[in-house]
Amino acid sequence: MSKVKEQMPTLIMGAGLLVYGLIAQSGALLPIAQYLHTHKTLDLQVTMCLIVGCIALAGALVNSVRKPGHSNLDTFILQPLGGIVLILVMAMLIRWYAEPLMKIISQSLQPILGFKIYKVLNLNYVVLGILAGVVLTNTWGIPKFAAPGVKCARFVLKMGVIMLGARYSFAELAKLGVYSVFLVGFFVLGTVFLVLWLGNIFKQPKSMTGVLSAGMGVCGVSATVAVAPVVKAKSSEMAYTIGTILSFGIVCMFIFPTIGKLAGMSPVQFGAWAGTGILNSAQVAAAALAFNAVDIETLKVAEIFNITRVLFLPIIVLVLATWFGKESGHKLSFKTVVIDKFPVFIIGFLILFFLSSIGMFSPPSHYKGKYIDVSYNDRTQVTHEEWETLNNAIAAGEFSGLTPKQLEAVTDLVKQRQVAGNFEDRGNKKEFDHVGRARMTQLEGILAAAKAKQIQLSADVKSAIKHAVKQVHKKSKTVVTLTDFMIWFFAFGLIGLGMQITKKSITQAGGWPIVMGVIAGITKATLSFFVVLWLIKDVVLN
Amino acid sequence: MFSNILLCTHGTDGAQKAESLVFRKQESVPDMVVTVLTVLDEDWRQMTGDDWLNSSKTHTVFLDHVEEQMNEEIAEEWQRIKKHYPLATQAKFVQRTGNISEIITKTARELHCDLIVIGPWTRRKKFSIHSTGMGLRSTMKNKELHPLLPCPLLIAP
Repeated sequence: MSKVKEQMPTLIMGAGLLVYGLIAQSGALLPIAQYLHTHKTLDLQVTMCLIVGCIALAGALVNSVRKPGHSNLDTFILQPLGGIVLILVMAMLIRWYAEPLMKIISQSLQPILGFKIYKVLNLNYVVLGILAGVVLTNTWGIPKFAAPGVKCARFVLKMGVIMLGARYSFAELAKLGVYSVFLVGFFVLGTVFLVLWLGNIFKQPKSMTGVLSAGMGVCGVSATVAVAPVVKAKSSEMAYTIGTILSFGIVCMFIFPTIGKLAGMSPVQFGAWAGTGILNSAQVAAAALAFNAVDIETLKVAEIFNITRVLFLPIIVLVLATWFGKESGHKLSFKTVVIDKFPVFIIGFLILFFLSSIGMFSPPSHYKGKYIDVSYNDRTQVTHEEWETLNNAIAAGEFSGLTPKQLEAVTDLVKQRQVAGNFEDRGNKKEFDHVGRARMTQLEGILAAAKAKQIQLSADVKSAIKHAVKQVHKKSKTVVTLTDFMIWFFAFGLIGLGMQITKKSITQAGGWPIVMGVIAGITKATLSFFVVLWLIKDVVLN
Repeated sequence: MFSNILLCTHGTDGAQKAESLVFRKQESVPDMVVTVLTVLDEDWRQMTGDDWLNSSKTHTVFLDHVEEQMNEEIAEEWQRIKKHYPLATQAKFVQRTGNISEIITKTARELHCDLIVIGPWTRRKKFSIHSTGMGLRSTMKNKELHPLLPCPLLIAP
């Protein structure tokens, strides 16, 4: 009986998802979904809810009658199931309800406030997910049934990065790789040495400056965790350092995207800046998706920078171990310092990149841009800013020189926020696809006419149309599926990581680490901002 | 009146007041049994925050290192107490890990203590750049401790 009681939350969530999926399938939620602009995801909502609901119910029933064991099935599926379902439910609620509601509320408050809260605080599903995780863990706490599942967030986020590997070309990786090695190399080593120098000036213990320099220079808490045993950091030094890094990182997660937008940074520039200037690697992904959650250009750049600096971690550990070992007389093996610290998931990322590059996921024709996907998908939409530009341009009569068909294509683009067929025809795949492709052709015609100076369009309008057309040119259905999974993996991972940011760990911030950390963090963020703006101008992503 | 005391300390200024009160009292009641309890806050397990890059092995090494450090610091604290209060050499020293309120009350119940002594709440020095004690700046809430109490609780003035 007690086992059934333990599984009750998972059973309730599973049953709830099934009921929701069936209601959504009946079409009863269409008016609400249209109000929230999520009606295009209804099919996905039905599929996800039915699948996750069935798995949750089945798993909870098995857990209710089965004695918990130590098999792989228990460790990796049955025990974490409750937590996994909880995070998935949170991710679904946030993506399909909280984020759209936030947009609607922000728009309605704009006349009073003079700005949109949604845009200023970048409250998209990623940031809302992290905040939901932080709020849950610091108010009610992580429910007991969910604790093992929450720990999966780390693994899921790594899976997300591995899948991202399928989205790079050789040219992109080579070009971004060169930039990232130079920038990250300079700023990682620069910050490490700055903190060591500050520690010397303020006469702080080597163990404290060692652990703080790694945290501030490389990848935040992850580097602190890796370096602390090597430099024999004391407990208070670790607590102060982790608290400082977490506080600084959370502030950066909100401030960076807003500054990036105010400064007019391109997705590539912002990705490079976030990947260099933000301390914690999880918050780099969050900030990149907060800057641009519609497509993944910013995330692609930010993750390359993230991966580069993670690759610097064993080097920094080696440097600090040598430096500390000299002082203390400790001797550490190469295996302990470098091999054990190597982030193995990067090998997975490189394997996916390699398989994608040799055409494993798509026939060669897809690489020539012949594959077009006009089906409904969040990722194929234009950004909110682009949508506003097009909407304003229509209202201002900027499209006066277009043919009726071209105008219809632009009007529908504004209506649907993406190149697609008619919503009413979505059941008739052939007709839907035909209309969508025809609209894409009309939009390409507009761009050609603008290039030939037959019509006058502003640069922003041309850019928005170009982006809409580019969004539906896909390399491969497999890559598209991998990308969709990847976005959900990132959402899942970041909500789970949010649940591991406790108020107690943040409020530990203090001591000399907060003084030195703030100096080093602000210096790094400011300098990298100007260097990125100056250096990165012309990297084009496919 | 009280013969089996559980003295809870983690070395802060407030906890040292509790130490002083108990060992001064013991001078007049030599038969009094004193157990010195130091609790390692379970929140240390959460201190890896949003780290997702490291392997479980690196996490284990980190947590082992934390435990080792805390054990060293606790051993130093106990040495300080023994050095400062000669009667403390007769006391039993116990170290446990977990939720502070739960561990204190559980230990008092197990050892059949008739009084728990803790230090007073002291204002934290906010934004101090100097160390304010070892490890986590651990605190507990009365509303969590009081319902669990198996015996009277004395807060040293």
